[in-house]
Amino acid sequence: MEYVIEAKHLTKDYGDKRGIFDLNFSIAKGEVFGFVGTNGSGKTTTIRHIMGFLKAQEGSVTVMGLDSWKNSCEIKKYVEYVPGEIAFPDLNDGNSFLKAQAELLGLQNMDYANYLVDRLQLDPSANLKRMSKGMKQKTAIVAAFMADKDILILDEANTGLDPLMRETFTELLLEEKKKGKTILMSSQSFDELEQVCDRVALIFNGHIIDIAKLSDIKNSEYKDYKIEFTTREEYLKFKRLKYEIVRDQEKYNQVTIKIKNSDINRLFNVLKNYHLKFMSEVKYNLEKYFKKVLAEEYLRQEEELKQSKEKDISEKTKEEIKFEKHENKRQVKKANEEEKSEKFFNKPKVKAEKKENKRQIKEIKTIKKDILKSDKKYKKKMKKDSKKGGKNVQ
Amino acid sequence: MFSKALFKQSMKANWVKWVMATASTCIMLAIVIIVLGNLGINNIRDQLKEVFTQADQQTYLKTNAIDSYDLYLNAVDFENGVIMLSDSGMATVLWGFVTSNYDSAEQTFKRENPDITELSESDYEIIRNNAVDSTYTQIVGLIEMFPQYAENFNFEEDELKQLLYFLMLTYEDNKDLTGDTATSENIISALKERFGNYVYDNAYATALTQEDATEETAHASAMSARELASDAFACYDQQKSQAEVDGGTFVYDNDNFKTLANDYVNDMFYQQALLSFGTDGELSEEEQTEAEQMALAAKVMSNTAITTYEFWIQELTTDEEGLPLELTDEEYSDALSKAREEATKSITGQIDAEVSNALEELGNMDIYSLIIGSIFYRIAGLLMPMVFVIMTANGLLAGQVDSGSMAYVLSTPTKRRTVTLTQMTYLIVSLFAMFALLTVTSVIAVWISGGNAFAINYSQILLFNLGAFLTMFAIAGFCFMCSAIFNRTKYSLGIGGGVTIFSLVCTILGLFGSSVVPSAMRIGAMDFFNYLSIVSLYDTVSIMAGSLAYLWKFAILLGIGIVCFIVGIFRFDKKDLPL
Repeated sequence: MEYVIEAKHLTKDYGDKRGIFDLNFSIAKGEVFGFVGTNGSGKTTTIRHIMGFLKAQEGSVTVMGLDSWKNSCEIKKYVEYVPGEIAFPDLNDGNSFLKAQAELLGLQNMDYANYLVDRLQLDPSANLKRMSKGMKQKTAIVAAFMADKDILILDEANTGLDPLMRETFTELLLEEKKKGKTILMSSQSFDELEQVCDRVALIFNGHIIDIAKLSDIKNSEYKDYKIEFTTREEYLKFKRLKYEIVRDQEKYNQVTIKIKNSDINRLFNVLKNYHLKFMSEVKYNLEKYFKKVLAEEYLRQEEELKQSKEKDISEKTKEEIKFEKHENKRQVKKANEEEKSEKFFNKPKVKAEKKENKRQIKEIKTIKKDILKSDKKYKKKMKKDSKKGGKNVQ
Repeated sequence: MFSKALFKQSMKANWVKWVMATASTCIMLAIVIIVLGNLGINNIRDQLKEVFTQADQQTYLKTNAIDSYDLYLNAVDFENGVIMLSDSGMATVLWGFVTSNYDSAEQTFKRENPDITELSESDYEIIRNNAVDSTYTQIVGLIEMFPQYAENFNFEEDELKQLLYFLMLTYEDNKDLTGDTATSENIISALKERFGNYVYDNAYATALTQEDATEETAHASAMSARELASDAFACYDQQKSQAEVDGGTFVYDNDNFKTLANDYVNDMFYQQALLSFGTDGELSEEEQTEAEQMALAAKVMSNTAITTYEFWIQELTTDEEGLPLELTDEEYSDALSKAREEATKSITGQIDAEVSNALEELGNMDIYSLIIGSIFYRIAGLLMPMVFVIMTANGLLAGQVDSGSMAYVLSTPTKRRTVTLTQMTYLIVSLFAMFALLTVTSVIAVWISGGNAFAINYSQILLFNLGAFLTMFAIAGFCFMCSAIFNRTKYSLGIGGGVTIFSLVCTILGLFGSSVVPSAMRIGAMDFFNYLSIVSLYDTVSIMAGSLAYLWKFAILLGIGIVCFIVGIFRFDKKDLPL
């Protein structure tokens, strides 16, 4: 398979654990590839390498088989770019900017540019300095798209756009995709990525943690169903049926189970005998998927941290015991971490990631303590309940 | 390698700054040249200069007057001596000794040096000296034999030998003056002729030592000295024959001749001054009167000089009662030169030497070249272009990288090299256009102020503009380099602009230590600042003085600019851009 963009061991170390480290990915022709990740995780740095603005310390990026640093001019014949930071040259209005840009591109025919202007409802006669963020973004999009080249690189191109315009922009992207263009986009919006992308890479602290294939996620073999029972008895009874429980909310007699698509009929047969309050499918989307991945990553990191600390102090046995404990409670924790990472994604820009990361790790620790406590309580309760239940049955 | 679109974009972004800098600098320059040109700021300087010129002329006139006076008296004295010698019948006797001794000395020399066919001046001198020695021995022997001659040879040895040497020279001029033709009259006229030649030679040699003397002027002044001597002879002859006509005996009266000499010299200067204004027919009545007044002034000055000279001789060589002091030859000649010095002192000679020097320097200071060359072109005129260059150079690269707008240019198929070369071209072209307009403005301003007759001529003003352009070229190179190296405006502006403004301030401070400021106002230590500034390589002093020192400094400025541009271009190709 011929790759349009290919990164091999791409590394740029800014020190202090900042930068990007050993990135490997490749994008095929006509593919739409997404980048997602926390602020400062290295999305923009990667894109700058692809554009040939930065020189890789190790590894390389090629675009159409050309090294993007050495042939930074040649690759621009194929690439159009919407930068993450919008700052226009010192020109009066949008028209003169688009004209200057067309001149630099050697573009004669402005039909497509005019089409884009109409499509995005942009007023290009406005003063560049007085434009709102959304207006600027639209101008930048038109300036990039009007060249109609083969590869599109977008660095958070939909920020600042109003929700309706976001939709239009997504449509526009889909149109471009239809034309067979290769698109690399970084975004904070899972919706957008989900609608457009074929594959999405999750970058965290400069590492690609996971590359998800959207078709896999959408057409998953498994589905999650949330079920609430009218009575506690039935709830407990259902739990004993050994379905894979993803989330358990005993307070509401709710349980979320993961079930293979082929087993769905069997489940309905079982549920026939229960009184349900409701039942709903929990959509398994990209956001969820990455939250899970991220939560796992946090956990892994935290464990690594603990291990490295405890190795020095405690004996092996203790460690082993703890490790087992962790393994046992992993499922429960996962659910909590998901919530945690949800918060994390919605957070606005953080000033110092390092501090933030530390704080989060701390938070996770305290949450874990809570979980451990509640777990013990729950076990006690369970014992009591089972005794009571047993009596009742008898 | 060049992007028209980017060039246009740079022009659009920077034209306001360019127009502002160009217009303000042109206006400043026009005002400086035209307004100051009409204010006549050099008047005081010119007056001061005239005082010193007049003083020089005075000294020259007075020295000439005294020289002429001395020459006149010497000539008279000489003739008196010759006449006395001839009256006593000694002339022919002495002539006999001289001719025979000279001939034998010449023969001896030729015999001893048979290989010399043509005698050189030094050979003649040996012959003359030998002849003088033998003649002197003969005379001494004669006086011993005939003591009655001693009265006529009342000479010191040196004096006598000098006289004899003079006679030898005369014989050389008149080899045929032997035997019957050697009458005392013939001998006297030969001696007079010889004296005339001697005066001519001396005057010619002296005149040649003077500044801007040519062979022609030296010849003219030597001829007039010779005439003066022959006039003196004529005066003596006339006095003598008048005395004979009156029936009395002629007695040589020194004081009488002094008066005559004074009158003669004064009159001569009067005539000369009149002649220098033109001949009678050419002058209007008014001019004639003016010429006469000036001539009279020259006459009075010459009279004053001679009177002062006589007064000082009297003062230095006689005691309080007017009796002559007993002085050695050396003391006497010292007294004479002292008297001459006092008599030729001009008005500036009477002031203290240091003050006089300071005043003279102030007189020589050219305020135009100070204001136009050292203040306008090196300081005031560079300020606006500097501000333009600092801001523009930063905006062309670093500013666009810092804001991120460079991303739009570099996301099109435009090489970084193309960007740097285009931006460099814009910077250089805009500066060149600025200084082209400045050059046109300055040439017009000089033309209005009087063209080449103005204190600063066309070639100098063109060099000033060229130098200013090269200085700005070097500074632009440096600012461009900073802009290409740094990704942040604060570093690019801070270092590029900082160094540039530092240079300018150092030039201002260094001005007070530079040689263009007169020594009375100069602070030598401030010259140190000139070594800290790149503007020091723009040598306006050398341009004004017409020396070629500015050329290699121009070359260095050009070199700095080129090197900086190249470093900037290569650095920009290789660095990381946060776009």
